Amino acid sequence: MKRKIGFKTLGCRLNQFETDALASRFTRMGYEVVDNSKDTDVFVVNTCTVTNQSDQKSRYVVNHALTHGHIGMLIITGCMANHHKDQLEQRYPNAYVVDNQQKSAIPQLVEAHFKKEIVPSNQSQGGVFSYAPAAETFHTRSMVKIQDGCDNFCTFCIIPKVRGRAVSRPPQAILENIKQVLDYGYKEVVITGVNISRYNYEGLSFSALLRQILAIDRDFRLRISSIEPDSFDDDFFELMKHPKLMPHLHLCLQSASESILLKMRRMYTYKLYKTMVEKLRKLNPLFNITTDLIVGFPGETEDDFQASLKAVGDLQLGHVHTFKYSKREDTRAARMSDTMPEPLKTQRSELVRAAALKAKIAYRRQFIGIKQTVLIDTLNAVYAKGYSEYYIPVKIKQSVPKNTLLKVHIYGLETEGNDPCLLGEISA
Amino acid sequence: MQKEVPVANKIKTDLHEILQIRHLTDSTFVLRIERKGLTFQAGQHVCVGPPNGIHTREYSIYSAEQDDYLEILVKEVENGLVSPSLKKLKSGGFVVVEEPVGYFTINKALPKNQKYVFIASGTGISPFHSFVLSTPGLNYTLLHGVRHGDEAYDADAYEAGRYVLCTSRDDSGNYKGRVTQYLKKHPFGTDVHYYLCGNCNMIHDVYDILEEQGVSTDNIHAEVYF
Ligand SMILES: Cc1cc2nc3c(=O)[nH]c(=O)nc-3n(C[C@H](O)[C@H](O)[C@H](O)COP(=O)(O)OP(=O)(O)OC[C@H]3O[C@@H](n4cnc5c(N)ncnc54)[C@H](O)[C@@H]3O)c2cc1C
Repeated sequence: MKRKIGFKTLGCRLNQFETDALASRFTRMGYEVVDNSKDTDVFVVNTCTVTNQSDQKSRYVVNHALTHGHIGMLIITGCMANHHKDQLEQRYPNAYVVDNQQKSAIPQLVEAHFKKEIVPSNQSQGGVFSYAPAAETFHTRSMVKIQDGCDNFCTFCIIPKVRGRAVSRPPQAILENIKQVLDYGYKEVVITGVNISRYNYEGLSFSALLRQILAIDRDFRLRISSIEPDSFDDDFFELMKHPKLMPHLHLCLQSASESILLKMRRMYTYKLYKTMVEKLRKLNPLFNITTDLIVGFPGETEDDFQASLKAVGDLQLGHVHTFKYSKREDTRAARMSDTMPEPLKTQRSELVRAAALKAKIAYRRQFIGIKQTVLIDTLNAVYAKGYSEYYIPVKIKQSVPKNTLLKVHIYGLETEGNDPCLLGEISA
Repeated sequence: MQKEVPVANKIKTDLHEILQIRHLTDSTFVLRIERKGLTFQAGQHVCVGPPNGIHTREYSIYSAEQDDYLEILVKEVENGLVSPSLKKLKSGGFVVVEEPVGYFTINKALPKNQKYVFIASGTGISPFHSFVLSTPGLNYTLLHGVRHGDEAYDADAYEAGRYVLCTSRDDSGNYKGRVTQYLKKHPFGTDVHYYLCGNCNMIHDVYDILEEQGVSTDNIHAEVYF
């Protein structure tokens, strides 16, 4: 079914022009465009703030939508968003308040919202670092956010525009948050953020923060979520030996071609990436490295692509998220000319997927005959399932309560599917 | 837990008055604008755009950390969207400026007498201008690759002997040829920190040359413009 977007415009002709331009972009993206908020998935209010009266009118439109049952995404943009951002965010905590300068990025913001890549920065109290403890739902793994925003300006990425500047959460709040979730009974904590390796709170680096987290005198497993391979110090590798820190990193590579990495404005070279992987595997030969790869970036030659394809096997990657490059308006890459035809992108992504599955199976097979500690997170009539310290799914044909940490002897690997589980039995 | 925390998703933008426009060539100019208290480290960039539009582009800061204004060095790109409209602006007018960001900065933990080699193509010289003006006594050599000698933007800002102009289309520079050819012939060693800025083809080739010369990637820092 078509998504529906509503626009309400106040004030000047420029606003109207910009709304029209946005509306036609959304039409091209396959949205149904209407001029009110009724039954819409997204409602955009393009505000004006020339006079007090226009402020009032703008507020009225937003309130009217909300009191008439609008529950979809709400975007407040235009001049009032520039002048009264704080007030608006406080008053409408579920709205995205977008300044005029970012207005043209609204289509990307909407896409990112529906892909669940972002939430309003001010959703619930506590700003971007808010954390709603999920005591009742009782998952086994708790995410703790340490950082938001990104200043890297990769050419394909809209995040700096929609997420804003990098900000780091004070260490005290992070440590308290972790203790709190451990009190709830979580056994595993995952630290997350948009670009966590750039964590820097008044000079305290990511490694220094990690050291403080690992020093919390409690029994838990710590994971690092997706991370950019661009600012690791020696201390980081030293900490990787810590028994609480799980031997898995999702280290975003994007391409193994040096020239494509430069065009993407990534902050590392493939050579540097390889050195990091070597260092990690020297600490632990089974260290799980998973990654993201983009295929079909503008200007990606056959040689560039082959470099990425080869890296999958060379680096013995445990898992690869493959993305076909897709243009995001208002990014630098969107202005690049030598784009790849869609069928070629599809073909390349299929090749990477096949190579990645082969590498994944080879990587996982190494665990057969080895004991793993598994945190059970799923239980059904047939099996219990959870993740090993290496973040590999393990199935056990025994009934075990969720949130139990178990020593499991691995005796095999499933032979079907794209994400074959290790097979294990509880070990004495 | 209830401590106030900074909120992302707030890109601070402001209108800055244009104080001066200095044309260096037909296509390249220095835009001097009000600083309005913005703090930055040499090597960082700002996003700048015309006051009436919704588009901005990244520009390295050209001026020094201690100057009471901000400057950017802009080359008008033919058929570009933002640079031609910046060129049309006049002093007394305004530009939209986002707060400075970026990691292409000098590591302050390195020794004071650390040797640096800065390699620029075209307007990629901008962050180096800011490095040099912000840090008196910096031990550097600057290789500047351009087509013609008239693109030696503000060459007299650099100490004699530290600026090497490499001209690929005429012989008015200190060296006739590309910066890459110069670098091949004149290696600077492995204990130097190399900063590369400009177009990605130049940066790619310089990486290869430095690798051949045994330079560790830890000592190479790059800022890609396009
Ligand atoms: C971190 C960073 C710092 C930058 N600093 C500067 C700076 O100090 N001075 C400066 O002049 N530019 C700088 N740029 C480039 C600048 O952001 C714009 O890309 C440039 O001004 C062109 O913008 P435009 O809207 O006019 O052209 P667009 O419409 O964006 O682009 C048109 C085409 O021109 C190409 N192009 C972009 N820049 C150049 C260039 N300098 N020479 C030739 N072709 C180009 C692009 O590849 C594109 O295909 C920087 C870029 C980045 C990422």
